Amino acid sequence: MDKLSLPAVLDSLAELRRYARDAAARAGIDADRSYQLQLAVDEIATNIISYGYKDAAPSAAIAIHGVITADALVVTLEDQAPAFDPRGRQLPDAADLARPLEERGIGGLGIYLAIQGVDRFDYRREGGRNLNIFEMRRDHGTAH
Amino acid sequence: MGFSISVEDGQGEATITLTGELDAAAAPQFKEAIEKVAEAKPQRLILLMDQLEFMASAGLRVLIFARQKMGAGVSLYVVGSRGPVLNTLKMSGFHHSVYLQDTYSPE
Repeated sequence: MDKLSLPAVLDSLAELRRYARDAAARAGIDADRSYQLQLAVDEIATNIISYGYKDAAPSAAIAIHGVITADALVVTLEDQAPAFDPRGRQLPDAADLARPLEERGIGGLGIYLAIQGVDRFDYRREGGRNLNIFEMRRDHGTAH
Repeated sequence: MGFSISVEDGQGEATITLTGELDAAAAPQFKEAIEKVAEAKPQRLILLMDQLEFMASAGLRVLIFARQKMGAGVSLYVVGSRGPVLNTLKMSGFHHSVYLQDTYSPE
């Protein structure tokens, strides 16, 4: 699929989700798993836009690119914000998630939902860019 | 599909209907509605989510905000959420702190 580059603003989230949804549909991924992918892309993109690009110029961009292979859909988010590996973020554990909302901290929930929802999540720093990589198996045996 | 929100104040309870996609761009509208509703000090806050198609953690954070803003004496109902949105609420452990119901019925 063609790479899509968008302004790094929260109003781009809907379009990033739409791209992920289209990619999932082309890969034959069912609606529930497509939703998990869209949520994952949305959460990581929200982080990039809200924190990574916090002090960035208005021209800052975030790009999304989907590749469909025989076995999987691989969606990559690409940005030029300072290096940030979501896998290094401390995520809520079972005890945190059982805690009443009155006592909740707000950190890490988005990244937790993102990483839980996809079959594989990967991060790489390459040439001044962050690459956040989401992989979903094509489990319904679509013909190629 | 966007996001829309409507608020209805009743006898000791407030109802907020959420429609569409609740992402980080839409969450401030939801937060504003909670702040407004909290001023009337309702006993019960009912969030109708049967038309909510998408909810990111930004929406969950507003629910946490609502819980903390309204105080322990106020009951929070999340009504009609379904599919992946309901799944997200459960995965995040929110069923421990709010009433998750198919149709509204005061406890």
